[in-house]
Amino acid sequence: MRLAFILGEITSGLRRNLSMVVSVILVTFVSLTFVGAAGMLQLQISQLKGYWYDKVQVAIFLCGQGSTSAGCASGPVTPDQQKSIKALLESPAVAQYVNDYHFESQTEAYQHFKEQFANSPIVDSVTPDQLPASFRINLKDPEKYQIISETFSSRPGVETVIDQRQLLERLFTVMNQASVVAIVVAGVMIVCAILLIGTTIRLSAFSRRRETGIMRLVGASKLVIQLPFVLEGVISAVVGAVLASATLWAVAKFFLGDVLAKQYPDTAFISPAQVLILVPLLIGLSVVLAGVSSLVTLRRYLKV
Amino acid sequence: MIRFDNVTMVYDKKARPALDSISIEIERGEFAFLVGPSGSGKSTFLRLVLREDRATAGAVYVAGQNVARLSSWRVPRLRRGIGVVFQDFRLLPQKTVFANVAFAMQVIGKNRGVIRETVPEVLKTVGLEGMGHRMPHELSGGEQQRVAIARAVVNRPGILLADEPTGNLDPATSQGIMQLLDRINQNGTTVVMATHDDDIVNSMRKRVVELGSGTIVRDEAKALYTSMMPAVRPRRLGEPAAEERRERVPSPSGAGEEEI
Repeated sequence: MRLAFILGEITSGLRRNLSMVVSVILVTFVSLTFVGAAGMLQLQISQLKGYWYDKVQVAIFLCGQGSTSAGCASGPVTPDQQKSIKALLESPAVAQYVNDYHFESQTEAYQHFKEQFANSPIVDSVTPDQLPASFRINLKDPEKYQIISETFSSRPGVETVIDQRQLLERLFTVMNQASVVAIVVAGVMIVCAILLIGTTIRLSAFSRRRETGIMRLVGASKLVIQLPFVLEGVISAVVGAVLASATLWAVAKFFLGDVLAKQYPDTAFISPAQVLILVPLLIGLSVVLAGVSSLVTLRRYLKV
Repeated sequence: MIRFDNVTMVYDKKARPALDSISIEIERGEFAFLVGPSGSGKSTFLRLVLREDRATAGAVYVAGQNVARLSSWRVPRLRRGIGVVFQDFRLLPQKTVFANVAFAMQVIGKNRGVIRETVPEVLKTVGLEGMGHRMPHELSGGEQQRVAIARAVVNRPGILLADEPTGNLDPATSQGIMQLLDRINQNGTTVVMATHDDDIVNSMRKRVVELGSGTIVRDEAKALYTSMMPAVRPRRLGEPAAEERRERVPSPSGAGEEEI
């Protein structure tokens, strides 16, 4: 009975305050979309980093079957060549710059590739023998990349030496800056949302002051009096969060998935399913900000 | 049922207190008029009983409980035991008579079956049988006040506070309302009514407590609106009135309940 009563109060409150409710929904929608966008950028960064990025700086790719570079004219790397590269890595001349290194076989390379490009159709057309084996080197000083490059790039069996950081670092810087901008905008919008929810609840409490006055007199509990107002705010904010989540999912699906992924087939993009990780976060955030702002408002404007 | 022990209420430190160390007891089942000019402290008295405010000094006991000591989540339970009626009725204009009375039961979680059964019963007691579907603006003032009384007593409170319930009504209608309040009182509900209406006070011959400038200037049983005695001996601080020396109702909560 009490639940039915509270639900009735909520619907009548939402109807009476429709324009304010719509503005709360829109403001939380926009602010949480920005929060989600920052989250998506971070997800995309970790996607691009792949398996090795945080562990090593330099990759020495060995010749495979399909290698076309000059160093690979004699065909795929032989076990002897591989051994001599490994010996060179461990020789004092090189080892002084190297923290540690890993050998990634073609099978392992295929595993890591599958993980990174899980959302891309390219994964189906790649087989382990198409991917080069590699030595992944963690340098003591990342700036000493040149030395490694000069030492190894002309060795037989080496296709190429790549400094992965240099390739991706600038892109990541841009993406991180974009995240910061998104978070700042989101912060401003969240302040807006909190104030707007507060104002909405204030108006709602004012327009229903007769009812709440009588409720107090006949001994309705604080919960019954205040819950409809809190839930009004929370429901509008959650609707905003759901809209924001849907928007982010649509961006991942239709923009990243259908447009960008076709233009850049060799880039690993996040999948719409990964974006769904952000949904509980956004809804949780909307509940917290609506709950907090409505409780603060009610404490001031709806004495029990 | 209601006991004030040296209660002082100060709203503004610079002005005189709204209530100045008053002590009074109203027994269970009693009918008491609270009279006195505007500003004499009648409304403050009612607000303290309802714990809308806490006394600056002294203690207010309602049904044996010191209301100032109630934690805020227990205040609703106190108020469920008190019905209140106002001069301006305070009905919800967009709800029918039935819904207005039912509202008081809904918000404290009574189930639908009980509400459907109880509300028509109460409407019958206040003389509004079959008018449950009407809207408040379709009713006369007296009828509206009857709805308000129905709402105040529907949860069977032990105390009914009425703040000038006849202030907006003509004398004949007022008499009807008073008969109703008297009937409610005879069913065991303690009634405290603040009023300016001398005809009513005189015709009822009930206990009259007269407040003036925050003090009790008169407390007589079966009294009239104006004093029958030529002069009133001012009572000493904390001295109970004659009517209060009756046997006290033992209170369930012993703490802070010592006799004066």
